[in-house]
Amino acid sequence: MPTTRLAQVPPGSQDLLAADVRRRRRVQRVWFDLAEAAEYSEVIPPTFEYEEVFTRAGTKLASELIRFVDRDGRLVALRADFTSAIARMAATRLRDAAPPLRLSYAGKVYRQRPEGGGHPRETFQLGAELLGSAGPEADVEVLRMVIALLRALEIGDFQINLGDIRFVRPLLAGLQPDEAEALRTAIDRKDRAALAEGARRYGAPAAVARALVELPELIGRGEVLLRARSLASGSDAEAAIERLRAIDALLAPDERSHVVYDLGEIRGLGYYTGIQFEVFVGGAGRAVAFGGRYDDLLALYGMDRPAVGFAMETDALAELLGDAP
Amino acid sequence: MRRPLRIALPKGRMMDEGLLLFERIGSIIDPVARDSRRLILPSADGRFEFLPVKSGDVPVYVEAGVADAGVAGSDVLDEREPDVLRPLDLGFGGCALAVAAPRDAPYPYLSGGGMPRVATKYVESARRFFAGKGMQVELIHISGSVELAPLLGLAHWIVDLVQTGRTLADNGLVVVDQVSRSSARLIVNRASHKLRLEEHQRLIADLAGAVEGSA
Repeated sequence: MPTTRLAQVPPGSQDLLAADVRRRRRVQRVWFDLAEAAEYSEVIPPTFEYEEVFTRAGTKLASELIRFVDRDGRLVALRADFTSAIARMAATRLRDAAPPLRLSYAGKVYRQRPEGGGHPRETFQLGAELLGSAGPEADVEVLRMVIALLRALEIGDFQINLGDIRFVRPLLAGLQPDEAEALRTAIDRKDRAALAEGARRYGAPAAVARALVELPELIGRGEVLLRARSLASGSDAEAAIERLRAIDALLAPDERSHVVYDLGEIRGLGYYTGIQFEVFVGGAGRAVAFGGRYDDLLALYGMDRPAVGFAMETDALAELLGDAP
Repeated sequence: MRRPLRIALPKGRMMDEGLLLFERIGSIIDPVARDSRRLILPSADGRFEFLPVKSGDVPVYVEAGVADAGVAGSDVLDEREPDVLRPLDLGFGGCALAVAAPRDAPYPYLSGGGMPRVATKYVESARRFFAGKGMQVELIHISGSVELAPLLGLAHWIVDLVQTGRTLADNGLVVVDQVSRSSARLIVNRASHKLRLEEHQRLIADLAGAVEGSA
């Protein structure tokens, strides 16, 4: 008879039994077959590293790290994000490799989450990073990996919500930090009344105020890009629309049918500098994948190089698979 | 055919006011279902399914996506901070989250410099509020009859919802500080909003119109 204490695992961790493992391994096998065929090489970053790898970019990851003190007194953290770890790896160990670099991975990430929300603290992710290519072709290559993987898993009913953070960022330029934060919250909640109110209170120029209030509605197919272009303020926002149009032109019709342009979404990890996307599947209450361009991240680790990538929630995909062999 | 949009509603007065709003946009609970003991109540026009739950649970159902949208007080949202959209202030259910103390009790400092004890259901909101004011307090989480705490000496002050102030006055308490204003909000599951965009946009626009009309 085991003791009651041993019958428990800490909240947010879990045992995976045979059927759970089978489904996750199937997702990973399908993924690595695809990744290898596309010449992405697998890397395995360490399970724990110095915490600054995850805090350097100043994103919300810093508040979700599971940290402990190493033998020498330095703070280390469990891997909270593959992209940060791979950016560090690429900017240091792989700095002499000829670009572009194509790297893939699959494994667990660990994040501190509040108890009682049903959030796991360790989850499986898989994904890819394409380092050293700045063009829309690289963005499309990553989007195609996502589409190919979902198709290979026979998940047909999915939608990619694609935006570009450069469209939103100029709207918050020049504000005090607390004002920008209030508007960011309103954008994130799609609260039009609060956006209109905030724009008025902070004395935003008419064009900016109009764009802010329209943000929650800037979702849709290609025609949204036209509407967004008429609202774009400044060269960054125009570049964002041009990039999305270039991507749209590169996509095949059966790929484009999965893409919804979504200019008002700012949920991505704070290190994105260009396109960013989330993937939604019928039957899952949260995004099952996310990704984007992070051209400034590698520079934080000592090598300035553009990059784009994605991560997928392996557990969520495994749940969707059911019990097929 | 996909199931109708499922709307979580907080049982009690807010549910009645919420249903009035839905009635104004042409959706009433199917009368047959209303008289039954069903836990999920379809609307007569087939557009929605209403899911009556405890008010604090609305964000849980909506965040997980088992309800597509819901009605929740901003007091509940500030306390639980669910990861959901909050597109619309529905204009009803207005109240304030406030600090109350016995009449003549010291605030914001105790005489003698002791550590104030504060009883509340809203621990997170209270923690943020006092931290923002640079005040050090000890929070005591209780789940009902908060007004009793100062009378019995469990706490010096309380943080609680105040609608008319009657309950406070009856217990010899007065509002000494305001934490936040609260009203009912429409909240929406993020994934559902993306996947059923047109239905959600129509719901938000319809409810915005109904709120406008009743203002």
